[in-house]
Amino acid sequence: MKPPEDPIAASTLTGTSLPIAGEATLKRYVRALLHRHRRTFALVISLHSVSSIAALVGPVVLGALVEELSGGSASISIDAAAILFLTALLIQTVFTRITRLRAGILGEEVLADLREDFLKRAVSLPTGVIERAGTGDLVSRVTTDIDRLTHAVRDAVPEITISLVSAVFVGGALIVTAPELALTWLLAVPPILISSRWYFKRAPQSYRAESATYAAVSSSVAETVDAGQTIELYQLAQSRINVTNARIKRWVSWERYTLWLRCWWFPAIEAGYVLPVVGVLAWGSWLVARDDISLGQLTTGLLLTQMLIEPVDLVLMWYDELQVGQASLARLVGVQEVPDPITDPDLRPTDDRLIVEGVRFGYRSGRDVLHGIDLDVAPGERLALVGPSGAGKSTLGRLMAGIYAPRTGSITMGGAELAQMPAEQVRTQVALVNQEHHVFVGTLRDNLLLARPDADDTRLLAALDSVDATPWVETLSDGLDTVVGSGGHGLAPGQSQQLALARLILADPHTLVLDEATSLLDPRAARHLERSLNAVLKGRTVIAIAHRLHTAYDADRIAVIDGGRITELGSHDELVAANGPYAALWRSWRDAD
Amino acid sequence: MRLKQLPLPDPGQPDLRSPMRYLTWIARGQAMLLAWGTVNGIVWMMSTAAVPAALGAGVQDAASGDQRGAWQASAVLLALGLISAIAGLLRHRAAVTNWITASSRTQQLVVRKAADLGGQLGRTVATGEVVAVTSSDVEKIGSAFDVFARFAGAVVAFFAVAIVLMRSSSLLGGIVIIGVPILGLAVGPMLKPLERRESAQRKRLGRATELAADTVAGLRVLRGIGGEELFISRFQEASQDVRTAAVEVARLRSLLAAMQVALPGLFVGAVVWVGAHLVQSGVLNVGQLVAFYGYSAFMLLPLRTFMEAAERWTKAYVAASRVIRVLSLERDDVDFTRGSIIANPTAATLRDPLSGLVVSPGLFTAIVCAEQVTADEIAIRLAGLGPDGANVTIDDVRLGDLPRPTLRSYILTQDKDPVLLSGTLRELLDVPRSGAVSVEDAIETASAFDVLDALIDASPDTSEPMDARVTERGRSLSGGQRQRLALTRSLVTDPPILILDEPTSAVDAHTETRIAAGLRSSRQGRTTVVLTSSPLVLDQADQVVLVLDARVVAVGKHRELLANDPRYRAVVTREEVPSA
Repeated sequence: MKPPEDPIAASTLTGTSLPIAGEATLKRYVRALLHRHRRTFALVISLHSVSSIAALVGPVVLGALVEELSGGSASISIDAAAILFLTALLIQTVFTRITRLRAGILGEEVLADLREDFLKRAVSLPTGVIERAGTGDLVSRVTTDIDRLTHAVRDAVPEITISLVSAVFVGGALIVTAPELALTWLLAVPPILISSRWYFKRAPQSYRAESATYAAVSSSVAETVDAGQTIELYQLAQSRINVTNARIKRWVSWERYTLWLRCWWFPAIEAGYVLPVVGVLAWGSWLVARDDISLGQLTTGLLLTQMLIEPVDLVLMWYDELQVGQASLARLVGVQEVPDPITDPDLRPTDDRLIVEGVRFGYRSGRDVLHGIDLDVAPGERLALVGPSGAGKSTLGRLMAGIYAPRTGSITMGGAELAQMPAEQVRTQVALVNQEHHVFVGTLRDNLLLARPDADDTRLLAALDSVDATPWVETLSDGLDTVVGSGGHGLAPGQSQQLALARLILADPHTLVLDEATSLLDPRAARHLERSLNAVLKGRTVIAIAHRLHTAYDADRIAVIDGGRITELGSHDELVAANGPYAALWRSWRDAD
Repeated sequence: MRLKQLPLPDPGQPDLRSPMRYLTWIARGQAMLLAWGTVNGIVWMMSTAAVPAALGAGVQDAASGDQRGAWQASAVLLALGLISAIAGLLRHRAAVTNWITASSRTQQLVVRKAADLGGQLGRTVATGEVVAVTSSDVEKIGSAFDVFARFAGAVVAFFAVAIVLMRSSSLLGGIVIIGVPILGLAVGPMLKPLERRESAQRKRLGRATELAADTVAGLRVLRGIGGEELFISRFQEASQDVRTAAVEVARLRSLLAAMQVALPGLFVGAVVWVGAHLVQSGVLNVGQLVAFYGYSAFMLLPLRTFMEAAERWTKAYVAASRVIRVLSLERDDVDFTRGSIIANPTAATLRDPLSGLVVSPGLFTAIVCAEQVTADEIAIRLAGLGPDGANVTIDDVRLGDLPRPTLRSYILTQDKDPVLLSGTLRELLDVPRSGAVSVEDAIETASAFDVLDALIDASPDTSEPMDARVTERGRSLSGGQRQRLALTRSLVTDPPILILDEPTSAVDAHTETRIAAGLRSSRQGRTTVVLTSSPLVLDQADQVVLVLDARVVAVGKHRELLANDPRYRAVVTREEVPSA
């Protein structure tokens, strides 16, 4: 019955290297959370106890009335019963209001704490961890998991807590009214317990698979819409329909599976609810006949038995939501477990010289990307890294920007190991700009200020001007106050790249690593921008990873990287004179000169 | 209709004249299932409604000392429980099946329409609107059919209970028939403000989530440049906004919860109070009093079902109106029936009257444009798209006169921003093709072997490159890797005429040289057009065309033009265009 393919299992396999909290950590965390809010929590429980007790008055009064009206031992008049009932109803109403409100406020406090704790930890993660894990996993934790947790904390936790308190009081009242009748609930225990254990072992993961496969259907349609022109040009219409149909099929197979699970569970718990009621009536009427209990006790017992169904049902219905919330919490708390690298905050470079010595490095053990790199970059030098895709240029760039530590060898800035410096210290020395040009949601000003919070508008505009951005910035109706980023004014990829470079100019580190930093501009604009940049960056060390040869031509020295090694190193003229692979490439590019 | 049969082989032709007609059309398609659900819904609701009667009878028997009767009542109670469990289960199955059938059918219709409209969709409606339809409206339509059986059961049970009460006491019957709608209406005035506050709260949560996601997505920048404090405090503000808004929601919700205690309590209390007086005056017996207590509590269930159905149907109506708006879109540029065919597209000459461009068959032509915009326009025009695309000719036949599928089988244009669709590499490269070019050859020509490694690295569950996953739009890959994968896909289709717009602009010089040479030899004898300004590619072309101010101004070999035409030299060596 179970569909063969589990999308959740597959997606947890793909590239998640951020930890998920274990049971012990989770328990500790929840306990600390409860401890922090213990007063409010206790208050909510006590408040709800009052309304639970008030709710018992109805069945008790009706029992007494039945006793009275059937001519038994008269104890209460109809009007007295009515007044009693109304008073209890009023108390129950008022306390329900207060309980729900207090619980709501508490829940929101807890949620705010959780999301803020998570974000604070996320933005202090070591850069290497972020590079390696990618931001996708973090984004999904911050969106999906917080969303799920919100559901759980807002609804499941209070519903279950309140239902449990109610159940305790109703059950207690049943025992006080007629302990014999309370025993009938034992009939309900086997079907409910056995079926629920079976069900909850399978349910949470299956519901997640179900919603993931459903999301895949929607995203397949959304992608079809997004890629309209490509689909038209490549005649992919039928293939998109087939893909969507296949995803519908997979989604439906999970829907069938969860339906099948419910087909066993629902009848079993329904049986669990019916049996005590039947038991109370059958056995209770016999006890009444033997005068062991009164008719009033039987009536109250019946009503209480029915009343117990609701809280039990609520607990069962909300339980899987709680399980889902727990899994999400584990993923959020898990981020707290990422170890911080051991760094020395007092480490200070003596000068701006960047030295790479015998560096070997790989993303996976046993598969080095760099095989022994030595480089000595003088302050103010302009070094170009060229070479075919996959040769290790970008990796070397990241190492030189202090994002990764080399596996063997060392990378030092003014004698101090980059890998030993905290990120906050590294970035005052060296900064990296690559193709990933994130534009944050916010004003253009906010997007620049992050690099230099104390800069005034003149300085921000000057930075934009030095990256040739003035023409388009001037067309923005709100200038620096224009909201950019997703949902705001959309910037073209080239403009985003200019923004990233402007940030770099504001951040003002003495060494820059530019990894194809102008590749998204059209070639002519890129050429112009690089020239403007050259003027601004004069006196700074620049390591430029380039796929265009004119960038190399402009550099003081060129390092040709191939297969993780430096195969050629020297000035443009030296390399052309040496007549190696670089010279050949250069000639094919500029052979008419 | 069974779930196993979904998706339908053909979702059919929907009735799009109005939202109501659309919903009716869906309903007709699953009429049997809706009827089956309705039957079970009625049986289920009635067996639940009858429980108070059995309880009352049992209590009355106990009161009058009829032990046999009490046991019979217990047996009836047990039977009712079993019937209710079975009918409830069958109803639930039918409801879920109805939901899924309606949703998946609508989903199929939307994707069929989207695939058919292709690039035109984005030009006529906001793509966000279509995405909203598929992500939320489809579900709302499904849920309208889910609630149907319960609604039918609720109607029958409501009237059945009302009649039973009327027959015992018209006063009690009256209280119930008038009281239940009042209970429903009383909370009405609170629902609107609650919905407003909830939507305000959702909006703020959405904003906070967006900020958090955005901050995390840009974490590399933050960690590399700084600004963490700025973003944390920005998020904290947003997060506290959410809290404040959510507390406002909790205020109303708690009030509503209190009302849901008070109002039904008053209702049940009134029924019992009147009932007790009737027992005192001998009109009713105590068993009936207990039953009436049960009935009045039960009546809250049909009440809630009515309200739920009303809400779902309203939402489904609105959703259906959005769905039919998308499904009613029609292509404005195609006539699939009309059209000519040309004998041999491989030997056909392509002419663009607007720019004066002539593409000779079988050659590798490179087009150099001074402006990127001009290049993009030409590429799209040669695909027969855009305002003047229909006027481009292939062997003197207007592209606008060719049947669309025929045109696509002649010419493939890879535009400036080809979208990589998510899925495995095998799925990505599974495009209509001539069969003459193998996937391996295409990868070789596009120098994309290292892209395979990158894909494998990101897919730990497989070591077979063709099974490695490409994420949506190839976001996990670099610009150059994406371009080479897109080029691989174009090469695999192997069309008679291939147009490539800046296919290697993000690729490094070493690799670009290899690609240009490979392209030339692998497309031997077929027509290839590359819009580029890279000398490494231009050098490989049989013929280079220079376009200035959207008109062809020179044609020749790369080296000739470089030597003789200063305008050409200015463009390809990327120096400033001389002002002359």
